[in-house]
Amino acid sequence: MHIAHLIPLFPFLAFLINIFAGRRLKKASAWVAIAASTLSFLFSLKVFQDFKAGAGSYDLGTWLVLAGKPLSFGIIVDPLTIMMLFIVSFIGTFILIYSMGYMHDDPRFSRYFAYMSLFMSSMLGLVLADNFVLLLIFWEGVGLCSYLLIAFWHERPSAQAAGLKAFVTTRIGDTGFLIGMLLLFFTCGTFHFSDLRSLTGPEPVLTIAAILIFMGAVGKSAQFPLHVWLPDAMEGPTSVSALIHAATMVAAGVYLVARCFPLFVAHPIALQTVGVIGGISALLAASMAVVNNDIKRVLAYSTISQLGLMMLGLGVGGLSAGTFHLMTHAFFKALLFLCAGSVIHSVGIQDIQKMGGLFSKMKITGTAFCIGTLALAGVYPFAGFWSKDEILLAAYSQHHPFLLVVAFLTSLLTAFYMGRLILLVLFGSPRSEMHAHESPLSMTVPLMVLSAFAFGAGFWGAPIKTAAVEGQGAHLIMGISTLVSLSGLGAAYLIYIRRLNLLPISVLSSLEGLKQLLVRKYYFDEIYDYLFVQPCLRLARAAFDVDFNIVDGLVNFVGFATQWCSGFVRRSQTGFIQNYLLIQVFGLVVLIVWLLKI
Amino acid sequence: MIPLGYFTFLSAFLFCTGVYGALTRRNVIGILISIELILNAVNINLVAFNKYLGTPDSLGQVFALFVIAIAAAASVVGLVLIISIYRNAKTLFTDGIHLMKE
Amino acid sequence: MDNFMFYVIASCVCVSAVLAVTQRDVFHCALWLAMTLLSVAGIYFYLDASFLGVVQILVYVGGIITLFVFAIKLTAHIGDRAIEQINRQWPLSALVSMLLLSICWRIFATHPWANICLNTASVSMAQLGRSLMANYAVPFEFMSVILLAAMVGAIVIGKDKR
Repeated sequence: MHIAHLIPLFPFLAFLINIFAGRRLKKASAWVAIAASTLSFLFSLKVFQDFKAGAGSYDLGTWLVLAGKPLSFGIIVDPLTIMMLFIVSFIGTFILIYSMGYMHDDPRFSRYFAYMSLFMSSMLGLVLADNFVLLLIFWEGVGLCSYLLIAFWHERPSAQAAGLKAFVTTRIGDTGFLIGMLLLFFTCGTFHFSDLRSLTGPEPVLTIAAILIFMGAVGKSAQFPLHVWLPDAMEGPTSVSALIHAATMVAAGVYLVARCFPLFVAHPIALQTVGVIGGISALLAASMAVVNNDIKRVLAYSTISQLGLMMLGLGVGGLSAGTFHLMTHAFFKALLFLCAGSVIHSVGIQDIQKMGGLFSKMKITGTAFCIGTLALAGVYPFAGFWSKDEILLAAYSQHHPFLLVVAFLTSLLTAFYMGRLILLVLFGSPRSEMHAHESPLSMTVPLMVLSAFAFGAGFWGAPIKTAAVEGQGAHLIMGISTLVSLSGLGAAYLIYIRRLNLLPISVLSSLEGLKQLLVRKYYFDEIYDYLFVQPCLRLARAAFDVDFNIVDGLVNFVGFATQWCSGFVRRSQTGFIQNYLLIQVFGLVVLIVWLLKI
Repeated sequence: MIPLGYFTFLSAFLFCTGVYGALTRRNVIGILISIELILNAVNINLVAFNKYLGTPDSLGQVFALFVIAIAAAASVVGLVLIISIYRNAKTLFTDGIHLMKE
Repeated sequence: MDNFMFYVIASCVCVSAVLAVTQRDVFHCALWLAMTLLSVAGIYFYLDASFLGVVQILVYVGGIITLFVFAIKLTAHIGDRAIEQINRQWPLSALVSMLLLSICWRIFATHPWANICLNTASVSMAQLGRSLMANYAVPFEFMSVILLAAMVGAIVIGKDKR
């Protein structure tokens, strides 16, 4: 029984219901969305069952005929897809439950759930698509929902700007994706993923196509140089950030690379590009997270960094490592965002320099927060340890020393800034007036569930992998990575709780310039503004001037000319009968001449 | 004998004088006078043709008779109208009566 | 002798017509119109249309000129003599009338009928009366209706509204 294509339909139905009947449903719209998402999850379980019994990908029909070849579209069912289905529907359901509490007082409650359902529908469709075109459709869908949800509180100009920035930046990536996809089609004649293993075509063209397709992933997953939209996307509600910008949409880029892995493997240059970009993003974002003071933005940079790590893992050839980290990251990043949302919901501020000592007042949130942090920092035996270790192992065994060092540095910084985050938020003494209270059950239950997964998800993939690489320096890597995580956390503890200066004052003051650079996000926004935004605005203004002055001027001129002519001709209406008579007699003369003389 | 052409020329001359007067006079009665001239020009034409070419039942003269009668009727009505306008507009000059002007 | 008479009467007609449209005082115009009408009656007599000539004098000169004089006197202002009687478009209208005249001249002069000098028998009054009453009785009756209508109309329009 082919049921996989029904999975995206339930949330889509929920979207339609919530959009059209949301006003009447009010709080029930949440239940509609949650029900749809649960249904999707149950169907995903069934699909998994069917897959274990031997069912696989299937066709849904022919759609177009392109260049003589029919384009069929269908569903792909393989371990990668099933993993993604689980992540999206499971985490999505719990985030929707969480949203019931978080968005409780919002006037556009049902609209929110409509958009979230649409997003889930698009994301599920994205992972089920078996060809580039179908994937692109859902790719655009998730982009749209991202925009709608970032700018959800659209009365705020900052939210509007953030939404626009996200949309435009990902658009740039999407353009590359489209060109790459078309390039692939025009040289190899196919859009299907199943054909990627057996592609034939001119080498440079295919490499370029692969890199262009990767560009789409760069945009969607907020990698360098298109990473600028993700921190700003924190303008949206925190649950949105949890679902879209932590667990699922940004993972779509990684999914794309994983899906096209045969293509990348066949062209080492493209694969290398993936790895390098991933590495740069990982280190860049981690460095910026160290100095940031907004609780959500630290997590946003963390996301960029972890995604970079995933790309790095894929780039060194570790397909399973990268996708494994994708799964574990989805759980603990969603958990961390939800905890941050819980904190924000209770104290009302986002600046961590103003927080402190919240653990005693918010036990459940605090515990979940700590679990998430330990998972992200990669401490044994939490989930993050296993997946990060896989990536490190892949880099080591495939002999990429430079990327290995980058990965270690990133882990160090990750542990450091996450330690800094929880120490400043949860521990120590309060630095400002706060009225903190624990969040309602609808918010804490998802936290608890996700914490369990953040702890235990690693065990799913762990035993299989470690057994395979016994004795190839696996223990060495594990040891170094544990050391790195603990030292990062320890350094954070020393600096922020014990108030020790690990480096001498003189060195610290000379690093002031570096700190400024980091705080200003390496001036990326300013550079982009100067290079792209301003010229674009100038072009738009020039076009507007042309339209306003020339085109409108022409139209106005026609009107003016008509008026002038009519004013001129009007003078013949003198009202004086003898004038008219004169013209009549003259006309008579002309008539006679014409009729009788010619 | 006077050729017919002389009479038609006379008629044409009278006609054109009447037209000139109708286009040029400022006083409305002056215009009416010019119109009388036009009518008389037509009459001369008719009677001349009747004389020179012969018409059945002396149609030319009968026609001219009718024209005279019509002209009389027209003048009567015209003059009465003029007196009526004079009562309203207090002036008889065409420049002063311009209700039709833009 | 005949021709000479024609030239005299014709020049009378022309001169008085021109004067009738160019005088400054409208009363003089009316008088010159009377002169023109008398000359036209003379033309009629010259053309052996004696009845018509008499009718012309009776109706036109006797009736219509009287009417004109009445109307002029009833609507006269003291300062009329000082006002310019010719309006601003007189050059153009003179030109147009000249054009009209020249066209008419071109047409009439080149026509084969222009030079005939036939002299048909003159029409007697009895003949005229007979054709009026017998052949053209209907237009004749219509004429009376029109005259009646003109009379009634004149009375109605000229009535004092007070």
